[in-house]
Amino acid sequence: MSAIAEPPSSIHAPVPDSAVGQIASRAMIDASTRLPVLLFFGAALFWLLAGSLFGFVASWKLHSPLFLADWSWLTFGRIRSAHLNAMAYGWASQAAIGVGIWLMARLCRAPLKSAPVLMIATGLWNLGVAIGISGILAGDSQSIEWLEFPAYATPLLFLAYGLIAIWAVIMFASRQVGHVYVSQWYLLAAFFWFPWLYGTANILIQGIGVNGVALGAVNWWFGHNVLGLWFTPIGLAAAYYFIPKVIGRPVHSYYLSALGFWSLALFYSWNGMHHLIGGPFPVWLVTASIVASIMMTIPVVTTAINHHMTMRGHFHMLGLSPTLRFVVFGAMSYTVVSLQGVSMAFRSWNKLTHFTHYTVAHAHLGLYAFFTMIMFGSMYYIVPRLTQCEWRSPRLIKLHFWLSAYGIIAMFGVLSIAGLAQGAWLNDPQIEFIKTVQVTIPYLMARSLSGVALTGAHFIFAIHFGLMLLRLGRTGPEPTYFENKRHDGGAVEGGQ
Amino acid sequence: MSAIYLLILGSMVLLGATAVLGLFWAARNGQFRDMKRGARVIFDEEEPVGMPTDVVFKKREPRRRKAAAHP
Repeated sequence: MSAIAEPPSSIHAPVPDSAVGQIASRAMIDASTRLPVLLFFGAALFWLLAGSLFGFVASWKLHSPLFLADWSWLTFGRIRSAHLNAMAYGWASQAAIGVGIWLMARLCRAPLKSAPVLMIATGLWNLGVAIGISGILAGDSQSIEWLEFPAYATPLLFLAYGLIAIWAVIMFASRQVGHVYVSQWYLLAAFFWFPWLYGTANILIQGIGVNGVALGAVNWWFGHNVLGLWFTPIGLAAAYYFIPKVIGRPVHSYYLSALGFWSLALFYSWNGMHHLIGGPFPVWLVTASIVASIMMTIPVVTTAINHHMTMRGHFHMLGLSPTLRFVVFGAMSYTVVSLQGVSMAFRSWNKLTHFTHYTVAHAHLGLYAFFTMIMFGSMYYIVPRLTQCEWRSPRLIKLHFWLSAYGIIAMFGVLSIAGLAQGAWLNDPQIEFIKTVQVTIPYLMARSLSGVALTGAHFIFAIHFGLMLLRLGRTGPEPTYFENKRHDGGAVEGGQ
Repeated sequence: MSAIYLLILGSMVLLGATAVLGLFWAARNGQFRDMKRGARVIFDEEEPVGMPTDVVFKKREPRRRKAAAHP
């Protein structure tokens, strides 16, 4: 801490000694997270590309079943699960961990502690994902959605995550600010709940070996809560940090943000059984989950109002900041996907949409338009602060944004329409089953094309990220914020 | 069937209970005492309120157009 205690001489406004001396500077904290965060980001991007290719193959097979039909390990049942798991555990979870580590250190106002623990966790996690996906492709899938990894891969993931959870506790204990910011509540919750969910589900399924009705319950309790208690809190933690931070304005209502967090924390774990509407399952449990789903409008609406009111008067900033573009797109999608999710929990609507592509559209809206877009935005903010250089090309960032945005909107649109057509016909006993399949084919072709746009966006981003790792980013006197700081002799120097 | 009750007790209820414990800790710790200051902990002298921190797309067309409109 002493290295940055002296305020730089050329800075315009003198910084009071007390503020700089007591707590480590922001740049120094950022620098301390460099290695683990970049490792998680790099690995996440690798799986994003792999997952995109898996997704493409799976999507293409839906309208052209003879495509790559000669390889057993590329059959739809395997490649589709490989896509889901590469995206959920390879990409989304590792991006979440990277963003979580960086935010945690910043919000604790303390340099990163126990970095080696995190490096071991990265290694174990990626080993687990690689073994798991190889297992799925080899035909060892568990056939339980979201938990397809074979039993020999899951302990590695659990161990890796356990290390991260312990790290989060150590880090939280070393915090230098008394107040726990709303983002930090979300982070702590996510770091604590995910191992709980993952451990419980795997012990019940692999250890105790539940089956039948109980297996369905465990499956969807996990499958839904992993979204709501792992991805959602990390996404919202990032949104609650980056929106105010980028526009330079505190959250509109801190009361609402507290209400949003605590209502999510108290009620979310009752969600999940509404995935089993109409199934051979205790009706009271399904009803309890439907009620919990409807309760979720409280955190969703409070968060939506809060983010909108924070942004009010600052929407022009969307034209200046890549981070803000991605994060606001994600935050808006969060509102849409959550309210759509509530509607899908109603029995009447579920009867039409269940077992159709409508559900697939909903899943992509959640994990991509909401979560992945917020992760992209966060990475655009974090990476330059770790590599000490600017993104090479603002044009590539724009291309990435528009390919991703149009791609996911198109995918959501065509899959939703396909799903509704499919659902309406499935409910009509006069219509032959094959027609309910044929009606979706043009939409599925359009979906494959939207997937190509998304895959293109991912490759662009990965190349851009690679250039940053090689320190080939811009360092010229461009008028970006980061450069201004460097030339002011500001805190950036403290990082090296 | 017993596994369902185990799940409900062990996870749905206990998971909510951890949130209740957290809420109690936060209230007793005074986390809700000064909400206005709480919202500002992410700002400081180095990056104060009112300072945007991610202006990557500046110097682009909108600016040039403005310059052309008011020579």
